[in-house]
Amino acid sequence: MTSLTINTSPLDSLASFSSIWCVVLSPDPTNTHKTKEVFLKHSLRLVASAAVLSVLITSTLYGGGFQLNEHGARAMAMGGAFAARASDLSAIYFNPAGLAFQKGAQVLLGATLIFPKTSFFGPDQLNTNQETKMKSQVFTPINLYASYEIMDGLVGAIGVNNPYGLGTEWPSDWTGKFITQKVDLQTFFISPTISYKVTDQLSVGAGVNYVTGEVTIKRMVSDPFDPHATTEIEGTANAFGWNAGVMYKFSPTLQLGASYRSEVKMEATGTASFDPARSAYPAGDISSNLHLPATGFVGVAYSPIDELWIEADYQYIGWSSYKELAITFKKDNSTSVSPKNYEDTYMIRVGAEYTMGDLQLRAGYLYDRSPAPAKYVEPLLPDANRNGLNLGFGYRLSKQLNIDVAYLFLKIDQRKAVDTEIKFDGTYNSMASLIGVNIGYSF
Amino acid sequence: MRTVIKMFMVLLGLAIVTLSGCSDSAPSGPVASLGPNTVTKYVSVGNSLTQGIQSNALYESAQLYSFPYLIAQQLTKAGASIGTFEQVYYTDPGTPDATGKASRMEIISLTGPVIGPRGLTPGQPKNTTLTRPFDNLGIAGIPLAGFMDETGTYSGGATGQLVLRSQGGFPKSVYKHLLLLKPDLVTFWLGANDVLGFATSGGVSPSSPTPSAIFGALYTQALDSLRKNLPNARIVVANIPDVRAIPFFTTVGPAVSARLSALGLSLSYQKRGEQGIATGTTKLNEANPPMLTLVSSTYATLLGTPTGRFYKDNRFPALPPGIDTTKPFGLDPRNPWPSALILDPDEQALVAQATNDFNATINSVASAKGAAVVDFFSIFNKIKAEGYAISGEIYTTAYVSGGLFSLDGVHPSSRGYAIVANEILKVVNQKFGMSIPFVDVSQVPGIPAPLSKLTAEKTILPLIPAETFKSFEWMFRQSVEE
Repeated sequence: MTSLTINTSPLDSLASFSSIWCVVLSPDPTNTHKTKEVFLKHSLRLVASAAVLSVLITSTLYGGGFQLNEHGARAMAMGGAFAARASDLSAIYFNPAGLAFQKGAQVLLGATLIFPKTSFFGPDQLNTNQETKMKSQVFTPINLYASYEIMDGLVGAIGVNNPYGLGTEWPSDWTGKFITQKVDLQTFFISPTISYKVTDQLSVGAGVNYVTGEVTIKRMVSDPFDPHATTEIEGTANAFGWNAGVMYKFSPTLQLGASYRSEVKMEATGTASFDPARSAYPAGDISSNLHLPATGFVGVAYSPIDELWIEADYQYIGWSSYKELAITFKKDNSTSVSPKNYEDTYMIRVGAEYTMGDLQLRAGYLYDRSPAPAKYVEPLLPDANRNGLNLGFGYRLSKQLNIDVAYLFLKIDQRKAVDTEIKFDGTYNSMASLIGVNIGYSF
Repeated sequence: MRTVIKMFMVLLGLAIVTLSGCSDSAPSGPVASLGPNTVTKYVSVGNSLTQGIQSNALYESAQLYSFPYLIAQQLTKAGASIGTFEQVYYTDPGTPDATGKASRMEIISLTGPVIGPRGLTPGQPKNTTLTRPFDNLGIAGIPLAGFMDETGTYSGGATGQLVLRSQGGFPKSVYKHLLLLKPDLVTFWLGANDVLGFATSGGVSPSSPTPSAIFGALYTQALDSLRKNLPNARIVVANIPDVRAIPFFTTVGPAVSARLSALGLSLSYQKRGEQGIATGTTKLNEANPPMLTLVSSTYATLLGTPTGRFYKDNRFPALPPGIDTTKPFGLDPRNPWPSALILDPDEQALVAQATNDFNATINSVASAKGAAVVDFFSIFNKIKAEGYAISGEIYTTAYVSGGLFSLDGVHPSSRGYAIVANEILKVVNQKFGMSIPFVDVSQVPGIPAPLSKLTAEKTILPLIPAETFKSFEWMFRQSVEE
């Protein structure tokens, strides 16, 4: 795990993406072909380096609960409604059955830039309407996929992405400093996947998820001598999960897809440190469990005219597995329990894709229902219902090379934390902008 | 390619627009206000709790978190034009003890923990030349009778003079100081010393709480006079918490009990009124056990040893009849746990009775005189049962680790005082239609404070030098004798 903790700023990878934009924005209009070649060289190198950087940096994420739903710019541009079509390598995430229809050898590399913004008004317990702004951060979850058609109708693939993650940081001296100053959670899923076309209509797919994750929680502690004493808990975990999917094509214009991704039971071990260190503190080894919820998709896609596909998906997320965050301190065998009591929830996704030659225009909408009851809304994760508006396009630069770009504006409902167990009621206002870029290459 | 560029520009534009122009809408939450009230002068009347005593001393850095000082700051935030809230300070490390060293207790080491004065040179009075009475009229040690007393008998003696300065031409009573200030908001929290002195001295000195009838008469007279002279003032009074739940009484007992049960022995102690051979025995784990005072923590470490330390420390001219200090201390009736270090069930019943009577008086007199009541009795019982949660922290009544009390186990910590201020402000807001923001407890220094919620469960026997509490009694010594 140490290789994942090089503390490079997320802005470094942002800079890499800026370079891509510069290339795209300064083409030579007299020689389109040449431009494509230059772009190809630059972009492959840049995307590769950005991807590598993204793996190396502590990239933390942002999603409903601590789920992240952007795993490919094409799907992202269509509101994430992709389980019925699953027609690029992000099928590894959305529905592995979609891989069976994909030809040859391919890679699809991408990243999402997430710009969240949150502020807190309160706490009500202090009869105040004072505003605190969350520190602004940029997150860069990645998605790297590769596939190979072993024989007609049998495709093997592997993917690396970040389906769960969280990053919140508040001013270090803010009013909730004893609850949280900073949280970082990241997970990497490495998913070898196989997909098989049973008939021309029916395909199935399944994968194993090797999951590695790490979490850092930092907050203040009351210390008898030092008013700025803090504790930091770090943990890492590795676990396995699985996923499977099925796709059925009723006709060339109507198809169905369904997939399931299992719960992943992460048993984390790590250390608690205190600054300053005192013998009275339970510093040293800790253990904790963090269960990543199961999720399932059902989608239907329909093509009313040749150029247009539309899709609608329902996604279920088994957040009720997130009952509590319990940290056991080995030193005194004590456990600190923070109840969460999340509820199962769902997302609704709709999207459309319109093809004009080498260009595909995409748009979508998503509704993401918060799993957090008002009583458990807290500054570590001020969750709320979200409505997302998606836009994007795909462009085929050559027979081999394809680029997808997506933009998502998440309108996050104002969220009131009411009657909280931690006695920190108030109102959270949030929003987020997300930009996704993927480069696909067919060999 | 041109289309691609256009699309991209549009997306980029959208991103920039949404990133820069964020529509943060403020919720319709509370707005700080005094409602229909004008507040131009706030004055606090009370005892050591009002003066801002912490950890066995009066010292400036704690006085800046006295609850009246905190309330004054919050009033200003809500638009009150009260100016500087004046207090008489004692510079750090604060007031001296009987030996001339600073009496303030500190955590010397977390191992133990070892708690006590550091033997520092005490501080000096400060702000003594103020040409008007102080706004904080809290005086350590003062009983209810001290409010109108002009003889000096009950008005806090030398410590009272720090505040009253009657030799400097100021009036002799707290009451007259108050009238000079013409307040439109008064907090009046007296009466705790009328039972606390009895309780903390193990029911020995004074030998009983202030009689309920006398308390009733004094309280009626006090609020009558206040109301007559300040007909329009907002008056807030507070009742008396059950002092049996403060860490001063709940820390040593459980630790000694654990030791006794490990040895399979009972504590031999002097019952109420006994001075020689003791007749009391307890394992300290039965229902409603006797309570051992925090003063006794040093003696707890001597349990079972042949020692006359208590009599030496307290300069007894001779051992009381029947006492044999060659016998195991606290285990043999001839060298028993002294009455002054224990609040036995009979004494506890007297405390409970007096508290109940006093609070009944406070309630009825306050409602007759149009004063709002802060029910600290109920608030404190609730904290004792459930703790007090705010902004993710849970404060309890546990000594040191609970975070609510300062190191003397009687007076609140800075955060404890912030919670006191907030509970008073809650009543002020509710009764008078104000919306004063509360003190942000998390921004108040947490000394002492929870080391970890995890250690809160364990019984600790702090190592506190016996002489620490020598100068302690001045804070709540006096009650009115019959």
